[in-house]
Amino acid sequence: MDALNLLFSRDVELWEIIGISFRVSCTAILSASPFALGIAFILAYFNFIGRRLLISIFSTLLAFPAVVVGLVVYILLSSQGPLGDWRLLFSQTAMIIAQIILCLPILISLSHAAFQANDHHAWETARTLGIPGFRAFLIIIYEVKFGLLAAFLAGFGRIIAEVGASMMVGGNILHYTRNIPTAIALETSKGNFSQGIALGIVLLLLAFILNILLQYFQGRGKSSP
Amino acid sequence: MTEKITFSRITKSFAGSFSATKLLSDVDIALHGGKVILLTGENGTGKTTLLRILAGLLKPDFGTVNFGATDEHWKHARKRLLKNVMYLHQRPYMFEGSVSRNMALAVPGSMSRKQTRERVNQALEWGMLTRHALANAKTLSGGQQQRVALARAWLRQSPIMLLDEPIANMDTQSSARTIKLLHQLKHANTAILICSHNYQIFDSLVDRHVELANYQLTEAQSIKADNRVPR
Repeated sequence: MDALNLLFSRDVELWEIIGISFRVSCTAILSASPFALGIAFILAYFNFIGRRLLISIFSTLLAFPAVVVGLVVYILLSSQGPLGDWRLLFSQTAMIIAQIILCLPILISLSHAAFQANDHHAWETARTLGIPGFRAFLIIIYEVKFGLLAAFLAGFGRIIAEVGASMMVGGNILHYTRNIPTAIALETSKGNFSQGIALGIVLLLLAFILNILLQYFQGRGKSSP
Repeated sequence: MTEKITFSRITKSFAGSFSATKLLSDVDIALHGGKVILLTGENGTGKTTLLRILAGLLKPDFGTVNFGATDEHWKHARKRLLKNVMYLHQRPYMFEGSVSRNMALAVPGSMSRKQTRERVNQALEWGMLTRHALANAKTLSGGQQQRVALARAWLRQSPIMLLDEPIANMDTQSSARTIKLLHQLKHANTAILICSHNYQIFDSLVDRHVELANYQLTEAQSIKADNRVPR
């Protein structure tokens, strides 16, 4: 009950944590998406040496633990690290960088699968209609929009709930880098279960909505002839 | 509009697990505006491969293209091929949305909305598709989809058209409509290359009949000798 009270009592701290979570994860997924779309498209439609190897690497990276991503970004951004001069450690930018790395493999792999599932004649037809390369690329994106949306939602689901990388590179600083998963971890360790449960409800609700949307878009993607 | 385009020494082989499979070896072919060439050959001889190379969609091992001035390597002529040659798949790909949207995609992006709408309406009429304008293109029959593809080509005003089995699995009425549209394209000075097993049906249309066998093109015997075009 305490948890529900917290959620509906406009607790500023709680909603600030939720706000930081969404701001960081939305920025990460929106920054990663164009890049992932481009790579997935090239992997699906162009043949070059090392293509299969790249596909295997991205598939393997799907299982990359968040805490290891956090560790790598931490090493890179720490004052002794190669990017230490940027002074980004324990900032939202560092969290965004870590989350971009986390969601890229899932975005690329699922977008690649969506492009592959589409008839390859689509690209050739667009090109032979004299449509310039970039416009043809946008047309193909429209053709596989449901599969790509499913990839986007799966990627977002992966980063909004991850705790390891955000904790390591964000530092869990209140009002600044504390997001939903790191707050849950902290409040639970302090024995303050009500805030943990309240944030857990938000995450569960989000996971439920994302899954409903995912099912819907995957179904639409498969049902289109 | 390009009056003549010549492809020379087109060679293509596909890499297998242990050895390369040769498909085309030093193939020469010239396409003329207002002339129709029929290409036949047994399955697996490389007809579709040749068409895709001519369309700029598949890179050959070697080959040159001449648009009327000098020979260019295929790689350097690719952009021009994509711009001038239209390749129609055996089962044309229909984009998401209505028949009208499929037509509109073939209109150059530089045209205004009003101009695009006018051109699309003309193309719908030309392709005998006006009453299907708002139908989902993916739900049309094979014959209707082929007409959408031809109307897109007409809209684009491609000087060269390559058709891969354009009337395969089509009923007599649909084939007749397709051939009628091809006659109109021919009279509009389009250079046409048709790849088909069914050569009798194109008899009224075809000026030259070539056969792909043993990696090379040879003159086939079925066509009227007085109607041939120079190579």
